[in-house]
Amino acid sequence: MTKRRLLLAAALLVAAAVPVSAQQFKPTRTIEFVVHGGPGSGNDVFARTLNTIIDQEKLSPVRMQVVNKPGGGSTTAAAYVVSKKGDPHVIACFTNIWLIDPLLQQAANNRPQDMSPIARLVVEPALAVVRADSPFKTLGDFIDAAKQKPGALKMSGGSIGSRENVVRQLLMKTTGARWAFISFPSGGERIAALLGGHVDMMIVDPSEAGEQVRAGKLRPIAQVSDRRLPGFPDVPTIREAGFEITNVPQMRGVIGAPNMPAAAIEFYEDMFLKVTKTPAWQKFIHDSELDGEFVKAAEFKAFLGTFEGTLREILKEAGAKVVR
Amino acid sequence: MEIASGLLHGFAVALQPYNVLWCFIGCLLGTIVGIMPGLGPAATIALLLPLTFKMDPAGGIIMLAGIYYGAKYGGSTTSILLNIPGESSSVVTCLDGYQMARKGRAGAALGIAAIASFVAGTVGVIGLTLIAPPVAVFALSFSSPEYFALMCLGLALVVLLSGTSLTKGLLSLLFGLWVASIGTDLFTAQARFIFGQAPLLGGVDFMVVAIGVFAIGEVLSSIEAGDDAEVLPVPRGIRNLLPNMEELKACRFAFLNGSITGFLIGCLPGGGATISSFIAYGIEKAASKHPEKFGTGVPEGVAAPEGANNADTGGALVPLLTLGIPSGGSTAIMLSALVLWGVKPGPLMMQDSPDVFWGLVASMYIGNVVLLILNLPLVPLFAQILRLPVFILFPVIFGISIVGAYGASGRIFDLGLLVGFGLLGYAMGKLKYPTAPLILGFVLGNSMERALRQSLMMSQNDLMVLVQRPISACMLGIAVLILLIPLFGSFNKARVRAITENG
Repeated sequence: MTKRRLLLAAALLVAAAVPVSAQQFKPTRTIEFVVHGGPGSGNDVFARTLNTIIDQEKLSPVRMQVVNKPGGGSTTAAAYVVSKKGDPHVIACFTNIWLIDPLLQQAANNRPQDMSPIARLVVEPALAVVRADSPFKTLGDFIDAAKQKPGALKMSGGSIGSRENVVRQLLMKTTGARWAFISFPSGGERIAALLGGHVDMMIVDPSEAGEQVRAGKLRPIAQVSDRRLPGFPDVPTIREAGFEITNVPQMRGVIGAPNMPAAAIEFYEDMFLKVTKTPAWQKFIHDSELDGEFVKAAEFKAFLGTFEGTLREILKEAGAKVVR
Repeated sequence: MEIASGLLHGFAVALQPYNVLWCFIGCLLGTIVGIMPGLGPAATIALLLPLTFKMDPAGGIIMLAGIYYGAKYGGSTTSILLNIPGESSSVVTCLDGYQMARKGRAGAALGIAAIASFVAGTVGVIGLTLIAPPVAVFALSFSSPEYFALMCLGLALVVLLSGTSLTKGLLSLLFGLWVASIGTDLFTAQARFIFGQAPLLGGVDFMVVAIGVFAIGEVLSSIEAGDDAEVLPVPRGIRNLLPNMEELKACRFAFLNGSITGFLIGCLPGGGATISSFIAYGIEKAASKHPEKFGTGVPEGVAAPEGANNADTGGALVPLLTLGIPSGGSTAIMLSALVLWGVKPGPLMMQDSPDVFWGLVASMYIGNVVLLILNLPLVPLFAQILRLPVFILFPVIFGISIVGAYGASGRIFDLGLLVGFGLLGYAMGKLKYPTAPLILGFVLGNSMERALRQSLMMSQNDLMVLVQRPISACMLGIAVLILLIPLFGSFNKARVRAITENG
């Protein structure tokens, strides 16, 4: 009797356990969180912030470790992630450059769509700013002036594939105005060029420009965002200012090694969703003036596909040599 | 008056026991990081950042800044002893520092580096205290044409660096400029000279080139010399391990030059410690009564660059604290740290967060004293390393070089490059090509090309922009003068020789 009961209980246990272990995934060793920048770069700080929250809130059964793979924009990191094909313990911090590098570099042959997109975590809004003593009160003023003297007005920014250049290309295309784009490698040099009066306008993160605006040195004339930021309720978005251009989101998200099992993708999707619910994350989003709309794996993957096409067209128009 | 009361308030913050402790820990960590090639202050600050989240912002920034300026003290150690630059800003220190070590003056060179660091570090902080806001505004008037002119000035000084053969010096320089152009072009996002190697898309790491050409090249030549390779002399007795009065006297101008050059170039958002150390060395050589002795182990050749890279830290904090503009890797992370603590660096920081602003400034006076006390006693200790027999010393140098090159990027690919540049350094030594111009060309190449192309984009392809702007025109003028002086000199010599021969 007892024996039979035990057997039955055991059988039931086995029956219950089998489907669970087949469906659910639990990491069994340290999770590698790959970052394409060196220690201290924007995405490194972002990844470490995520890591700290996961650690403090005990959202993962195993440790997660940030692994820096800098070099060639995102190419070194992407190659590393692809070399870990099928490994459910390798994820990476994704940003727009992961899409752009394969479009522009022959040697960068790992597209993010071929990896396992997990979630989009934030979209970074931006502000178009001019110096406080500038004659341009609105984006319209700037564009009118650019039409009158084609090529004379200047804007500072990053490389040809950066969001600020993409927005410029779109604005120039819809309005017919033309102005110069001057690349600087660091954010500090871009803003210094504007403050020093060497360029006329720039598109910049609100966290970088906020203090200059508050001190009355810079004036925001438009927001590169779908909706107005809480910190700048009086500044119109580009569309509100009357310029219908495609939205160009600057994204950060998480992407896994290629062929990651569906259960593992689900696990990470759920873990990062929990991260976004924590007060520590909410505070980070608020302090850095980010848009923290969570986008799940399936939707994120579909978006990457269409967005790549948009970027390819824009980069071609910008005069970049698109290789894929 | 406002400054005096601010500074007084700052010392009240910085002298709180906990903050003194954080300052000490930061300086100690910085010294260690500086000594280790490949482990830079930027990476260390980033790794420690999560630990500081729970700290009070003043204490946190005091510690992080300690790491930043402390690393500049330690950076000279391996440059002088082993010809391995600890940081990119200590590359120039190798030129005369290592030669001093070979002459048995390693201790003196280390001592001079520490003293120059202290003097210039303090001058940099005084500059930061007294004239930060106006200097920051002046620094903004620098843009691409001015940077281009500054780089030209640097390159003109390279001609002075090039030793006996101008042709060999220029060839070496051109090679350095070419290596700098490897990688993704900023403006067009096109890959250049990558030979199908994806790891080259990001360009060649500076530390790989410097360590390969200097350290590996040197060891290879010494190995070839075999039994003839002399063990470096290390004098006995503490007194002989520290700089003597004569050496200190020779450095008087270098202390001043390093302090001012370093601070001013440090204030520029596109400047940096590496460029300022090269320019201070060039100025020192140009102004010297015996420029031909540079590169053979003159103390002022150590004092000028080591001073400049320390004064640079005070300078780099000027745009960070008054404008919220970081000028390099370390200051960029310090900026994000401040933001995470809820302190907003920018034009209003002095009013909004006086504790953090003035506390940090005051702590840097304390930190520089701490670093001097920490570093001087280490000098005799480190100098003993050279007593190691060659069969231990050479493997140690190889080991440190490999760790340094790998640590900078974490890529095995870079070790292959290190071997390549090591062999190049060896071959150049064998064929009597100077290696310093190669390194300078590499340092300046990227920024120089960028500045020129930016200038042309700003002026709609009009080269006149370079001479129409007063600051840029002045610097270009000085560069031309510097290039002409030796020409007149050699013309003069040839004329004198011709006269005597005919006479």
